[in-house]
Amino acid sequence: MKRHSRTAALFDALQAPVPPRLPPPPHVEPPARVDARQLWAAVRLQPAPDAAGLQRQAGRALHYSSRVSLAAPDIVLLEVRGSLRLFGGLGSLLSQLRGHFHQVGVVSMAPTALAAVALARSGQRAALTDAQRLVSRLAPLPLACLGWSAQSLARLAAVGVVTVGEALRLPRAGFAQRFGHTLLDDLDRLVGRRPDPRVPFVPVERFAVRFEPSYEMTGNTALLRELQPHLLALQQFLLQRQRGITALLLSLEHRQHAVTRIVLRLAVPEHCAQRLSSLLAERLRQVVLPAPVRRCGLRCGPLLEAASDSAGLWQAGEQGGGANTQMPAFLENLRVRLGAAAVHGLTVLPDHRPEQLSCVAEPVMQTLPSRVAGAALMPWLAGRRPLWLLPIPQLLEQDASGWPLCALQRLQLLAGPERLETGWWDGADIQRDYYVAADASGARLWVYRQRDGQRRWFLHGPFG
Amino acid sequence: MPQVSHDPRLEQLLQHPSLWRGRSIAPQPVVATGFATLDQALPGGGWPRRGLTEILTAHQGLGELQLWLPALAQLTSAASARWCAFIAPPFQLFAPAFAAAGVRLDRLLIVQPPQTLWATEQALRSGACDLVLSWVAQAGIPELRRLALATEQGLSAGVLFRPAAAGRESSPAALRLLVQAQPGGLQLRVLKSRGAAQPLINLTLPA
Repeated sequence: MKRHSRTAALFDALQAPVPPRLPPPPHVEPPARVDARQLWAAVRLQPAPDAAGLQRQAGRALHYSSRVSLAAPDIVLLEVRGSLRLFGGLGSLLSQLRGHFHQVGVVSMAPTALAAVALARSGQRAALTDAQRLVSRLAPLPLACLGWSAQSLARLAAVGVVTVGEALRLPRAGFAQRFGHTLLDDLDRLVGRRPDPRVPFVPVERFAVRFEPSYEMTGNTALLRELQPHLLALQQFLLQRQRGITALLLSLEHRQHAVTRIVLRLAVPEHCAQRLSSLLAERLRQVVLPAPVRRCGLRCGPLLEAASDSAGLWQAGEQGGGANTQMPAFLENLRVRLGAAAVHGLTVLPDHRPEQLSCVAEPVMQTLPSRVAGAALMPWLAGRRPLWLLPIPQLLEQDASGWPLCALQRLQLLAGPERLETGWWDGADIQRDYYVAADASGARLWVYRQRDGQRRWFLHGPFG
Repeated sequence: MPQVSHDPRLEQLLQHPSLWRGRSIAPQPVVATGFATLDQALPGGGWPRRGLTEILTAHQGLGELQLWLPALAQLTSAASARWCAFIAPPFQLFAPAFAAAGVRLDRLLIVQPPQTLWATEQALRSGACDLVLSWVAQAGIPELRRLALATEQGLSAGVLFRPAAAGRESSPAALRLLVQAQPGGLQLRVLKSRGAAQPLINLTLPA
């Protein structure tokens, strides 16, 4: 019994929640310790670029420092202390940076990253290197330049705090309690009381190669032979990074004609040189080169996560085995030869007009779990519809009494009319009475009679 | 049709896999056509899931595609359905009619001409399609044989819609049907089949 209670006590002790590790009490002010080995330059891009534009500017910034990071949405940060000597001192570096970025934005410098961001956001072209003057320099800046949420700024403004200096003067414990630890941490990073590690920017990798073949090539076979080692290099490049590509650009330069560009687009990320080569061969077969090729360029699109090469246990079609592995390759084969538009899927749009109802869609690659089929989900599909539709309704001849004829025989109307009168809101309105008809051979047709104008008869599709 | 014996023990014996009879064929996978009369008339009790089938019609739009509609619905709604490909269809496919018949539209793939034969062969061979419906205008015996081989490689079924005049030529297809419209339905004449089939089938289509 005693033993049991001891076990229970031990169990209770194990179950007891571990006290969470508390943050250091906010009223204890960490010593201001600006890292003297760091000097940050912030480039504020104006107008604010999109994600790709920011990446491009960060790539340019790598010229001046190996430590570049991004502060979304509009700031590129560079650590420049390490580059001062290389670029001939602070003044020289600053003028080079400003020269480089003068078209796109404001460059500011400060001993902490956040201070540089704050200066750049407030539009000050400052180059502050002295850590002692940091606080006095930052004090008059508005709090909005710290990138805090509008809600926090409004609450601070409500107690009369609008500048950085005023926020720094508030008692720490109270500030943390009222506005949260995150804002206090930001203030600490701003003045260097707390380290501010930044995620380094890694430039996008692309495989790009330009080469001049040993002679001017006219034939596709020779061209492919010359491309082969470069495709193998591309495969090696992709395999090393465990990546695949879905776009490949081959540019062929001629002596006098414009550059021939061949873009290969793939359904799934691919790295296999043999496959790329066979697809390129298929594309090249369709291209007529205007002149011999002097120089070639091969450039890949963005590197994507490659699918693994694991093979399924079942062959496709057996036991419902993985057809998904064959679908992308099949689709690419067709599209490379016939063009992307010639291969498509099918979908239904919510409309009543037959012309607007059926729509071309991108083929669906994976087998989705079975859903409720068609009619139950689409109540507007009630009524009998043909399997075929003529792209343009065919005008039917009429006999003397106005009865529709098909191949000079009177049509027999089996069902109808079904009135479709809709679409007045977008200018493609229809007013039609649809009938199911049978021609002399017994084949069923979907015909309609206009309700406006000449009340003519049209064939809209065989039932098939 | 296989002869039906009335003694259950004899029936059990005749089902033994090592016993082959002159009229029987090796069982092949089929998909039910959705028409009871047609299921009874065709060898195996449905459309073949492997190999080539030819549908010959005097002109297009008689109702020959409706023959395949229930099978399409069944194939596309299977758990691991592959594509059902339409190669060079003569008109635009009208999606709502397919959806209303229970065909899952995301399993349909449409390939426009030209190069119909090449695309048909690719589709049959790739293993990405369950069923390939193809409107081939001209095809000789070597091409058809090539397509028949491709169905075996890709474990798929090919359906070729051809003009009635092609019925006079020989063909390596496993099943050949001549389809004629008649009031209220279709008349199917079996020109060739692997295993015994009823020579003339009268089919009523749903109104």
